[in-house]
Amino acid sequence: MKLRILHETVYAYAPAVDTAQHIVHLKPRDTASQTLLSHTLAVSPLPAARSERVDAWGNARSFFALQTAHEELRVVAESTVLTQVPAPMPEDGGAAWEAVRERFRYRAGSTWDRAAEFVFASEYVPFHDDFAAYARPAFTPGMPVLKAAEGLMRRIHADFQYESDSTDVGTPAVEALAQRKGVCQDFAHIMIGCLRSLGVPARYVSGYLLTVPPPGQPRLVGSDASHAWVSVYAPPADDVTAPGTWHDFDPTNDRVPGEDYVTIAFGRDFGDVSPMRGLLHGGGEHTLDVGVTVEPLE
Amino acid sequence: MDDSRSSLFSANASEPPSAVAAAIAAAAAAGHFDELRGSATSELGGALSPEWARFFDLLGEPGLDDLDRRMANLRRQIRDNGVTYNVYADESTGSQRPWAVDLFPLIIEPEAWQRINTGVLQRVRVLDRVMADMYGEQRLLASGLLPPALVHGHPGFLREMQGAQPAGTLLHIAAFDLARGPDGHWWVVSQRTQAPSGLGYLLENRLAISRQFPEAFEAMQVQRLASTYGALVESLKRSSPAGNDALIALLTPGPYNETYFEHAYLARYLGLTLVEGSDLTVRDDRLYLKTLQGLKPVHGLLKRVDDEFLDPLELRSDSTLGVPGLLQAVRAGNVLLANAPGSAFLESPALLGFLPALARHLLGEELSLPALPTWWCGERAARGAAMARMADCVIKPTYPASPWHDSFEAVLGSGLSQRGRDEWTGRILRSSDEHTLQEQLPLSQMPTWQQSLGDSGHISQRSLLLRVFAVSDGPGSWRVLPGGMARVVGDGTGANSAYASMQRGGSSADVWVLAPGEVDNTTLLQSTPTPETISRRVRLVTSRAAENLFWLGRYTERAENNVRLARLILQSLNGDDQSSQPLLAWLSAAAVDNGLVLSKVPTALQARRVFERSLIAGLASEDPCSVGHNLRSLRLAAAGVRERLAQEHWSTIVHAEDDFFRRCAAYEGEETGLPVDALRILESASGHLAAITGGQTDRMTRDDGWRLLSIGRHIERLGFLSSALQLALDTGALFDEAGFEGVLALFDSTITFHAQYQQTREVAALVDLLVIDRDNPRSLGWGAQLLRGRLSRLAGGRAGDTGALSLAVPNPDLWELGALCRVGTDKTGISPQLPELLQLCCECAYNLSDAISALYFTHSTDARHSIGT
Repeated sequence: MKLRILHETVYAYAPAVDTAQHIVHLKPRDTASQTLLSHTLAVSPLPAARSERVDAWGNARSFFALQTAHEELRVVAESTVLTQVPAPMPEDGGAAWEAVRERFRYRAGSTWDRAAEFVFASEYVPFHDDFAAYARPAFTPGMPVLKAAEGLMRRIHADFQYESDSTDVGTPAVEALAQRKGVCQDFAHIMIGCLRSLGVPARYVSGYLLTVPPPGQPRLVGSDASHAWVSVYAPPADDVTAPGTWHDFDPTNDRVPGEDYVTIAFGRDFGDVSPMRGLLHGGGEHTLDVGVTVEPLE
Repeated sequence: MDDSRSSLFSANASEPPSAVAAAIAAAAAAGHFDELRGSATSELGGALSPEWARFFDLLGEPGLDDLDRRMANLRRQIRDNGVTYNVYADESTGSQRPWAVDLFPLIIEPEAWQRINTGVLQRVRVLDRVMADMYGEQRLLASGLLPPALVHGHPGFLREMQGAQPAGTLLHIAAFDLARGPDGHWWVVSQRTQAPSGLGYLLENRLAISRQFPEAFEAMQVQRLASTYGALVESLKRSSPAGNDALIALLTPGPYNETYFEHAYLARYLGLTLVEGSDLTVRDDRLYLKTLQGLKPVHGLLKRVDDEFLDPLELRSDSTLGVPGLLQAVRAGNVLLANAPGSAFLESPALLGFLPALARHLLGEELSLPALPTWWCGERAARGAAMARMADCVIKPTYPASPWHDSFEAVLGSGLSQRGRDEWTGRILRSSDEHTLQEQLPLSQMPTWQQSLGDSGHISQRSLLLRVFAVSDGPGSWRVLPGGMARVVGDGTGANSAYASMQRGGSSADVWVLAPGEVDNTTLLQSTPTPETISRRVRLVTSRAAENLFWLGRYTERAENNVRLARLILQSLNGDDQSSQPLLAWLSAAAVDNGLVLSKVPTALQARRVFERSLIAGLASEDPCSVGHNLRSLRLAAAGVRERLAQEHWSTIVHAEDDFFRRCAAYEGEETGLPVDALRILESASGHLAAITGGQTDRMTRDDGWRLLSIGRHIERLGFLSSALQLALDTGALFDEAGFEGVLALFDSTITFHAQYQQTREVAALVDLLVIDRDNPRSLGWGAQLLRGRLSRLAGGRAGDTGALSLAVPNPDLWELGALCRVGTDKTGISPQLPELLQLCCECAYNLSDAISALYFTHSTDARHSIGT
């Protein structure tokens, strides 16, 4: 599917901000099932300095600095991507989850799997006993890791209420777990916390959904803004030490992402890939207006 | 027996001091190495090691009898030098404690030091290589030599620096804490790489202790420290992008940090500019210092700020200690950070167990200085071995102070009950990665001179940890500072404590490393500057320092003015002039105008004693205009520029505040406090303020920073005196005999006036002396002229600006007595031009302050906030 994404962010400040520096993750990355065809990032007022670098996980990360006073900041990211249906989950569901946990336990001289990085606690997803307790019913003995993850996704979707403004970016995942509600970011963090607490590598994916669903299908939650879901690591069932594959799950919509999903970036949690962060000097109050449109081309 | 030769410690005065010490110094606790006797099986009376025997014998004839005097000297020196350790970072009270240093140094013989030196050098090489690999190819992870949990799982591993560390040395300073076991061997307990403390305090220790024992210090060939510090600074410059011309600054969290004293001290000693995050700014991936002279490029930072606070744009967004964009400047190679950011994972105790294999792999060498056996519980085999020995171990957090983990204080297994051990076993099994066990070693003990109040001292054995430092002296090359800091456990029973922490009330000791041969007598001061480097030396004034100096000037003057006014009021209310109504009206109005009493308080005319009591009660109040508040604000402003003030100047400032509040508290405590007692408090404050202004006038370099201090004082003075004179006109005090004298007194011009005009009270003469006279430092004309001069010499942030500021001050050349006082036209002899001029001076003072602030200062208190989607 060829998709065009328009992501517009407008900050209005009162009084004016004197200077500001921003870091944004707004450029969709290439993945096995996605190719970036074009991308522009327009910033107004015109930044005094601008640069882009590739972060530790291969995501594009842009920086810009504004050195003059401004009452409004407008950032418009426009991208075109070609998506394919991601490789389906292996039929056997990957290695048993206990074998995956063992795989990532350190032993002297054991071989290193880069996915290990996503099994540890991180800023937005610190470990907590409540995660393991919540996840347990989905992780029955011998259950293949992807089947267990799918079950966990189902449970989260069923148990949790999607509620805008019920949390903010600073809400700890364990708190959202306790109140059984949140936004897509919380759903993703909770699922990641559950997986990691049982020793399964899981990463946070930031991206988009098709705004208007194909005829006959319901409009998905999160389609009018940037979205977030989870990627789970599964070594093959026959050899848990062999390189595994990553498979995406969207607990907010209870489905496996398809070609109607666009990946911007992935990391350990929201903090690694937040769409936009910035540091302002001066100013006071601000209002934020974000608009996202994802539509098929041709 | 000859009385003059009698000794507290020896019946036989001819006995050498070392024999006396051997006779009275208890042995180290059982199982602990006795530094004094060089053995773990020492006993009372046992002979001292040759080094310690020499040390005591070099005390000379007075021997141990003289130690109390040296101890008293030491205490005085620490207090006078203002060496402090902030216990609690409290802004308002600035709770500080004098630095604790023991009288005796720890003596390390050349052979033992040689082993430490070799072993520490080897370890810093390994650590630097491990860090380079982890931010580069990560081969050590691929080869399974290091668990990913200790790197990727460590909050201090910064993804932001992945693949972007500089090519050269990453660890310019590394600290190692060593413990000496019962067999006399030294063991590594832990290592510090983020922002290790101690390099400043240990210098102060050296200075203080070598001065108490000059003979022993010379004779015993104690290795000197200066050349190592010099090598570090040279190395930092060479490693920075600007080479020898580099501007290197020391980045401190600020005066409220517990070790701020040593930041200021170290910056001064090393010749680095002391900066806070808000002094710096990043433009186009380059780091700049905000100074009065504009932005100056900074090429290197010796940082004393922990990594996570370095850059609020990329790391902790709530950090106010860092510089937004700093990491970009570092990645671009435009600034050297020492140490490179992201070394915190090297500090984990869990790493110790993996270092021997890493050293074999990276260097092909065995580590010559072993670490205490340490087990990371995340490795199943190690966990089993460690838990079986919990009673002999210290349980330490793998990720100390981590925001993402349940952090905890280290726990001694030996101090746990069976139930306690069971609980810890459960915790360790649940979150194995987060726990590390380290064998507990009985620490060696050294002699300390302990003295309780009023008694003569005695030798007491105390456990110690030794902190030593490796510093870079070139690319991939290090040297070990031949000295260090012994951290001494606080109480005499501390035999079991594995920790010596300054925060927990421990003490420190100087460390004397004895040289096998000649001593290197380099001092940092003797490096010979060339005429070029001398003429190029311009002392940078950071915007923050400028702001503090400006306010230091204003608070000093404001405190002086309020003290003078309060004294004048108390004197007038209790003197001969009690009946002068205009005087009382004027003083009441001035008291309200300057915040000494609230406007709702009855005036001195209405209720004299009520007014007086309110004034006295308000002297040390929380009100922002009170005398006490001004003295405190003065001290806080001075603390921000501590490194620019002479020692005695700083001491006076601290003393002025302490003394004032102490006396006021005592006054309030008394039921029969008389106005004359309050007057005495003010006289004392006045004396201190005179010493402070003397220090400001006579003991500070006349750079732009000092100019701002002076401008601050004279802005305040101009505003105060012109409005006081205006009030004297309004209330008619000027035309009253007692009021006339009061005005002269407030302008500190009584003597001058009467010397010139005897007993006449001509208003025109007064106006001439207090407004126009350019020889009277209290006149408005003098102040205006001085402000114009200072402002015109101040470096311009932008060309022409200071000219404009200087022109904003009324020009006293245009003031004419004839125009201000037209004799005969009015019975007062005052023309309307005088109040107009006074009004102008008053407005000018306030406007000038705003203009200077907008033009020069950092506005570090400005809102800086983060946003995100």
